[in-house]
Amino acid sequence: MNRSPRQACLLVADLPLRAALRARPELADVPFVVATGSDAQAEVVAVSPAARRAGARAGSSLTHARAVSSDVRVQVISPALERVSRQALLDVALSFSPRAMLAQRSAWAFSSEAAVLLDASGIQQLYESERHFASALAAQSEALGLPGAVAIASSRTVARIAARHSANTANPLCVVPAGAEASFLAPIPIDLLDPSDPLGQQLTRFGIHVVRDLLRLPRRALATRLGPDVLELVARIRGETVESPLPLPADSRLEEAIDLDYPVDRAEPLLFVLRGLLSRLMQRLELRHLASGPLDLQLHLEGGGRDTRQVGVAGATRDVRVLLRLIALSLETHPSDAPVEAVCVATEGLPERRDQLDLFRPRGPDPNNLDRTLTELEALCGSDRVGSPEVADDHRPDAFGLKPFEPHRTSRVPDLPTHTEPTALVVRALRPAIAAEVRVNRGLPTQVRSAVSNGDIVRVSGPWRTTGRWWSDTDRYALDHFDIQVSDGTVSRLCFDWHKRCWRIDGLYD
Amino acid sequence: MRRSQKIESLLTDLGSRLKRGGGVRERPSRLPIGHPEVDCLLGGGFPLGALSEISGASSSGRTWLSLALLANTTRRGELAACVDTADAFDPPSAERLGVDLDRVLWVRARAEPGSGTQTALRATERLLQTEGFPLVLLDWTARLPAPTVASWIRLTRLAAATRAVLLLLSSERLAGPHAEIAVRMEPARARFTGTPALLEELETRMLLVRNRSAPIDPAAGFDIRLSRSRALRLSRPRPRPPSHESVA
Repeated sequence: MNRSPRQACLLVADLPLRAALRARPELADVPFVVATGSDAQAEVVAVSPAARRAGARAGSSLTHARAVSSDVRVQVISPALERVSRQALLDVALSFSPRAMLAQRSAWAFSSEAAVLLDASGIQQLYESERHFASALAAQSEALGLPGAVAIASSRTVARIAARHSANTANPLCVVPAGAEASFLAPIPIDLLDPSDPLGQQLTRFGIHVVRDLLRLPRRALATRLGPDVLELVARIRGETVESPLPLPADSRLEEAIDLDYPVDRAEPLLFVLRGLLSRLMQRLELRHLASGPLDLQLHLEGGGRDTRQVGVAGATRDVRVLLRLIALSLETHPSDAPVEAVCVATEGLPERRDQLDLFRPRGPDPNNLDRTLTELEALCGSDRVGSPEVADDHRPDAFGLKPFEPHRTSRVPDLPTHTEPTALVVRALRPAIAAEVRVNRGLPTQVRSAVSNGDIVRVSGPWRTTGRWWSDTDRYALDHFDIQVSDGTVSRLCFDWHKRCWRIDGLYD
Repeated sequence: MRRSQKIESLLTDLGSRLKRGGGVRERPSRLPIGHPEVDCLLGGGFPLGALSEISGASSSGRTWLSLALLANTTRRGELAACVDTADAFDPPSAERLGVDLDRVLWVRARAEPGSGTQTALRATERLLQTEGFPLVLLDWTARLPAPTVASWIRLTRLAAATRAVLLLLSSERLAGPHAEIAVRMEPARARFTGTPALLEELETRMLLVRNRSAPIDPAAGFDIRLSRSRALRLSRPRPRPPSHESVA
């Protein structure tokens, strides 16, 4: 078994194009170009295969692209899209290896590429071969809308060069066996090593085009003629540079963003855009075996304003439908002040919910499904109006509690009060209590008029006085309660508030 | 000896000592409230997968009947949900009746004039779509516009799909022909005893006014006495009013 360190590189050569296609997959078969702007002088950064067939080329002007293909669609380059696509690439890598990182961006000829490096040591224990692993990695990346090349080698530098080399060939997979790096690199063009522009031009002037030619030359002579940069390049090729270990990913915050072609002022088109964003975000979360926590929604408004809001969820979920409904409710309740130009959705990846169900009690709802239900109910009614009722430790007659509904955490055997009365009189609470006009004779109510009960009081019992919180000006209470039967048939709980000097009906016996 | 013959011979030898496995145990089709007489009147309880209705005026015992079902359901370890448009659920009363409050999901739907109906219906629909709540209690005693026929049809279908009891609690009958069982509670009288007087008992009358699956016995009905401390007392049926409705 091969125990030497192995490194893999997943590389997307044309990121602006792939990022745009990932956000708008419907453009895959039409000629379109990514440009630095929408004016005639704008430079074309990337072209789709259909546009390339029509004659458009990267580096040309937008006018030229429109001249060669009249129906070409133009997409202005979006830093936000590229940023989230890079992050998505990292998510793909993290779904295969716990140690992965984004490669440094190239400043020269390969500035439009995105690469992610991952530790592939010992991967043969999980996959039949390194090529199978590379194939799985490439397939996963393609499934996320970022088709790329994968290479595996003994060092990150060689893996990246090999991936860059594969991206230009028909076979996007490349495995460089351990110890065969030198022979692999020998015929590779120097340009693939991404030397700085001045160094690349000097090497070309000297007639050095492939790695083999460079390695033949003595280092001292090279340094004298080409400067210290060339020594660093040779050291990289020979694998002499020390590569620090790949760090463990610390950040589980994921975001998706998009710049809109034109400002949107209605909820429906905005939700359509958000559906795509959320789908991609959930896809990435699934790769990392995480679920979405509360969503941070950022809307960039026309005129430079920004609408930032948080959309809460009851439990971690990956259900796009539920999240979209919550966002729709938020937008419905608090519409944004101006048309939206760009949207960004971010979330903290949370561990997926795992609940051990009990063999000795009814199955109950699926925890994830229950979370979704609770989330929707909270969005409908308010988070303080959904939960499990509890008897408050309070003497106030109208006191009650509401705690989070967590049936899977309750005791297996129902924890019932020791004494229950199956035919006890039941009170139906009136919240808020109904104001009543009461006629009193010798301290006892004789007639009542209210929204729930009207007429002469036939029977009465009471009063029972309840007082408390006398130290608080706002919460203190002093109530006299009467049980009354009124001539209209209702039996209710009438109370007199000594502080407010008013009568109320706060409950019905029902 | 062939293998099949060996098995036959073995089965003959073991004879009655072998216990054949039965079919899949049928799930109960009704949710009982735990009082034999009332359950008997309802044909075993409220039917699962259907809409049932309890209607009655104030102080008619309608809340007691719904909470009794809630208590018996949660006592068996099942979950129940209560969509409360009137915000009238009283946790101390429910606990006294034996409701396991930890197993009750209380949704205090706001009975706002404009959107209250839709909010309550959407909450009920969502709960019915969530499998695992065999009882969804919809308290529609707040002064909200009655749901449309289409809403009842939708709710009934959802209840049937998840085999839940959708129990509608209202002041007057709302669901009409969509209810599988309709119970009307009528206030009778309150009894005050002692000196000084204490509210001791609330006597109500329970009438089965609709049962889609069986004809209604005209004499069916109970007087129920709800007291502070005494056990349930049921008296013999009284003559029922002539406005019964029965669909065979």
